[in-house]
Amino acid sequence: MSPRLRRAERASTPEEPLPAPPRPAGRVLDARLHLLDRQVVDADGAPVAVVDDLELEPLVTAADDGSAGTADGVPTLVVTHLLSGPVLLTRVLTGRPPHSRWHRIAWRHVSDVGTVLRLGLQGDALDVLWIERWLREHVVGRIPGGRRAPE
Amino acid sequence: MKKLFAVALGVLTAIGGFVDIGDLVTNAVVGARFGMSLAWVVVVGVVGICLFAQMSGRVAAVSGRATFEIIRERLGPRVGGANLVASFLVTMLTLTAEIGGIALALELASSVERRLWIPFAGLAVWLVLWRVKFSVLENAAGLLGLALVVFAVALFQLGPDWDELVRQVTHPSVPPDEAAPTYWYYAVALFGAAMTPYEVFFFSSGAREERWTVEDLSTSRANVLVGFPLGGLLSLAIAACATVVLLPRGIEVTSLSQITLPVALAGGKFLLALVILGIVAATFGAALETALSTGYTLAQFFGWSWGKYRRPAEAARFHTAMLVAVVVGTLVLLTNVDPVAVTEYSVVFSAIALPLTYLPILVVANDPEYMGEHVNGRATNALGLGYLVVIVVASLAAIPLMVATGAGG
Repeated sequence: MSPRLRRAERASTPEEPLPAPPRPAGRVLDARLHLLDRQVVDADGAPVAVVDDLELEPLVTAADDGSAGTADGVPTLVVTHLLSGPVLLTRVLTGRPPHSRWHRIAWRHVSDVGTVLRLGLQGDALDVLWIERWLREHVVGRIPGGRRAPE
Repeated sequence: MKKLFAVALGVLTAIGGFVDIGDLVTNAVVGARFGMSLAWVVVVGVVGICLFAQMSGRVAAVSGRATFEIIRERLGPRVGGANLVASFLVTMLTLTAEIGGIALALELASSVERRLWIPFAGLAVWLVLWRVKFSVLENAAGLLGLALVVFAVALFQLGPDWDELVRQVTHPSVPPDEAAPTYWYYAVALFGAAMTPYEVFFFSSGAREERWTVEDLSTSRANVLVGFPLGGLLSLAIAACATVVLLPRGIEVTSLSQITLPVALAGGKFLLALVILGIVAATFGAALETALSTGYTLAQFFGWSWGKYRRPAEAARFHTAMLVAVVVGTLVLLTNVDPVAVTEYSVVFSAIALPLTYLPILVVANDPEYMGEHVNGRATNALGLGYLVVIVVASLAAIPLMVATGAGG
């Protein structure tokens, strides 16, 4: 959750080795304090979801063969997706929902971490908003006046 | 000039908006049983709600975060979720009481059975939520609610023994024919009526609806610090009317007609008409605020898009939640429960749920990451901690007192 992590998310890794970053580079984020349970908004500032959980994966760099990890054998975990939806219930009651029911937002779409997490894209197409879209199409949008601004 | 107008309008709506069915019923019940000996609780409650509303308004204006977003962030899904359930249920209970209050007031005005008015009241509340702009619904209900000033007018016309009233206020004691636990039970109820949690959800979310910024803070502070105390005076006038008319005659308040009896006695049909108008407006306004609060709490906890400033289709889950809340409240009332009894329970449960919302706001109001230079000052924090103790004690005492006294029996 430091700049290291963002670099790992880049589409292409530059060929030449980069100088090692100074150690306390950038902001150090605490996943529990700064990411979990934070509001996520899209590029227009419209609320999308709250970060209900995070999907972590071992860091795999081009240099090693997939047996990722630091010298002491503990793998470095990076945040790959923000999760929302049914995972909230399992976070409270423990356990995890089936993989197919996870609603993910890729970490690479996160453009800013402040008191809210800002995404660099429009929220409308995201999977996490399916209930919102369903209610808009089938309930709220069908009641007269539902699509007009209040007067 | 424009700013002066904004302050005046804000103060007036704060006065009218302060009194809801909880304040009406509880103050009248207390006045009829304990005289003015519990007036000190109203004072404690008004200072508390000023502190609390001012703090949550400031947090919303500076950080752009409404109350329940903060509760979720600070307390996590487990404690925050338990908090949501409790706060939501209390707000639903209050919403039910307010819709019942509208129906009771209309029954009083028309002599048409209240159960016929209930669906109409629920529908009217929903229609306004659906189509009317936030600023309009807030101001109109608040201004019409000012008609409740007739309680103060009636008090003067009744020509009470002022020395006796003042003596009861300044030398509070448990009346000889009442038990001490009952006295303290009603103290908690009165405190809950003044400091209902929904007011804070509404206030902080309203700050977002009206896009407050740091520049608006002085206006909002003036609204709160002038409007709420005047609203508190109105509450005291309701209690005093009951003290003067109902207490000597041994009338216990079990319906709205008894609450308005002192006004009718003092001012006849004209004042009675005004007071009914005021009650309809106050309960209608509070029904809107509580219905919005049910939507705000859910939407902020789950991160849905919310707000009256969006089209309903752009906040579909928020509007669906409010629609369901109004329908459920209306259906509960149609089961023939007594709205006055619902109100009496709602204020006590408000007192019980209060620490859940108060503590996170107090913590965040001190967090520089959210508040920058606008964190609480020393005086605010000292007062804030003092009230934390009061709120926790009232909350913990409420259920034992309820059991011991048979809910005020």
